[in-house]
Amino acid sequence: MTMEFSTVHSILTVILFVGFVGLIIWAYGKGRKKDFDEAANLVFDDEPEAKPEQKQKQESDHE
Amino acid sequence: MSQTKSLEVEYNYSVVRLFTLATIIWGIVGMGIGVLIAAQLYWPALNFDTPWLTYSRLRPLHTNAVIFAFGTNALMATAYYVAQRTCQVRLFAEKLASFTFWGWQTVIVLAAITLPMGITQSKEYAELEWPIDILITVVWVSFAVVFFGTLVKRNTSHIYVANWFYGAFIITVAALHLVNNMVIPLNLVKSYSIYAGAVDAMIQWWYGHNAVGFLLTAGFLGMMYYFVPKQAGRPVYSYRLSIVHFWALIALYIWAGPHHLHYTALPDWTQSLGMVMSVILFVPSWGGMINGIMTLSGAWHKLKTDPILRFLIVSLSFYGMSTFEGPMMAIKSVNALSHYTDWTVGHVHSGALGWVAMITIGAMYYLVPTLFNQGRMYSTKLINTHFWLHTIGVVLYIVAMWISGIMQGMMWRAVNTDGTLTYSFVESVEASMPFYLMRFIGGVFVLVGMFIMAYNVYKTLRAEQHSLKPLAEAVA
Repeated sequence: MTMEFSTVHSILTVILFVGFVGLIIWAYGKGRKKDFDEAANLVFDDEPEAKPEQKQKQESDHE
Repeated sequence: MSQTKSLEVEYNYSVVRLFTLATIIWGIVGMGIGVLIAAQLYWPALNFDTPWLTYSRLRPLHTNAVIFAFGTNALMATAYYVAQRTCQVRLFAEKLASFTFWGWQTVIVLAAITLPMGITQSKEYAELEWPIDILITVVWVSFAVVFFGTLVKRNTSHIYVANWFYGAFIITVAALHLVNNMVIPLNLVKSYSIYAGAVDAMIQWWYGHNAVGFLLTAGFLGMMYYFVPKQAGRPVYSYRLSIVHFWALIALYIWAGPHHLHYTALPDWTQSLGMVMSVILFVPSWGGMINGIMTLSGAWHKLKTDPILRFLIVSLSFYGMSTFEGPMMAIKSVNALSHYTDWTVGHVHSGALGWVAMITIGAMYYLVPTLFNQGRMYSTKLINTHFWLHTIGVVLYIVAMWISGIMQGMMWRAVNTDGTLTYSFVESVEASMPFYLMRFIGGVFVLVGMFIMAYNVYKTLRAEQHSLKPLAEAVA
C-alpha cells in the first residue's frame, strides 16, 4: 500500500498537535507544582546563602 | 565572603574566563567594523580604494565577527558556566573545553584573514570556505561533547531549563552548519554548493533564519533563564511556561525561513507556509519575553539601582519588540514594502544590538566579578553610563533605519500615471543619506559604551582580589 505525501504530513501534523496539547496538560498538571518550584530554584541551590530572600540579610551581616 | 567560595572551587572557571574576555574583545572588534562600514555608506571614500577595505568584503566580516565571535564566545562562556552551576558539577572533558576555546578563536582569525581577501562561499552568514567549515564542525562537536557530558554527570535530578535552550542551540546549529555547507571543493579556497537554484536559496534561508532562531534566540534565551533570575534574586516567573514555550519555539522556528524569499522563484505555497509559521512564532517568542520580564514582578524597584538588571530587562523589551516586528514583516504584503530596504537592517539590529548584545553585556557584568573573585564590577556608575550610551545608540540606529527603510520602499514602488517609475534608484540612495549619518552616530554611541565596558573590566581585573565589596554590603 502506498500513502500520499500529503496524507503522511496530515497525520504528522495531528500527532504533533495532540502531543503539544498533551505537553500543556502535563506541564500545568497540579501534581507537578512542587517539582517545578524546586527546578526553578536550581539557580540558587549551589550557593551556601541558598535562598534569595536570605541573601540580602546575610550579605549585610559581613560588615 | 569566604563561605560563598567554598563550593565554587570545584568548578572549572578558567575556560569560562577565557571565553568571557574573548567576548568583550571581539565585541569591540565586530562593532568597530560595523561603525566603519556605516561610515563608508556616508563617506564612500573611506574604502581608500583598497579592495580589502571595501564595504562588500568588510560587511561579511562585521556580521561574522558579531555573530560568531562576540555572540558565540558569549554563548560558550555562559553555556559552560550555567551547565556547571545548575548541574552542580565540574565541566566534563576539560582539555576538550580548552580546545573549543582555542579552536574557535582560530576559526575567527581565519575568518578575519579570508573574508577581506574576498574568499567566500557567497552565502550570507555562511561565507567561510570549506576548510574553515570543517574546523568549525570539529570545534562544534567538541563543544557538544563537553556540554552534554557535563549534563550527563550532573549532581541534580532535574536539568534546569536554561540548559534545554543551550542544548537545542548546540544541536540545531550543528545540523544547519552541515546541511548548508555541503559543497564540492574546487581548490583550497573555492567551492560550489551542491544545491542549485531555488533549492539552494531555500536551504540557505532555512539555515539563515534558524541561525537567528537557534543561535541568536534559543542560545540567548538560555542565558536569560539563568542570569535574569540570578541578578533579580528571584526564581523564574513560570517554570511551566518555560517548558511550553521552549517546545513551541523550537517546533515553529524551523519553518520560518521562506519569509526571506517572498516574491522569488520559491513556490508560492512555500512562501505562504513560511509566512504563516513566522506569524505564529510571535506567540512562543512573547512567552519567553513575558517569563523573563515577569520574573521581576514584586522587585521592580531593583531596576532603579541596578544597571546590570536594567541591561537584562531592557534586552527583553527589545526582544519583545523585534519578535513582534519580525512576524509582521514576514506577512507578504508588508514584506513587499519592507524587503531589501533599510527596515530589514533596522529590524536585525534591534534584535542584535537590543536583545543579543544587551543580554550578553548584562551577563558579562554579572560574570566578570564572579569569575575573578570580586564582589562587584570596579564601577557601577560606568555600567550605568554604558547602559544609557548603548540604549540611546540602539534607538538612534533603529529609528534611522525605520524612516529610511519605509521611505525607500515607498520611493521604489511609486509609479507615474503612465506606469513609469517616479524615482530612479540613486534618488532613493540620496534620500537615505541623512539617516546613514544618524545610524553611524548611533553606532558610535554603542561602540563607546563597549570601550567603557572594557575599561571597567580591566580595572576590575587589576583590583586586588575580594577588594571590591558587593553594593548591598557597602551600603550596610
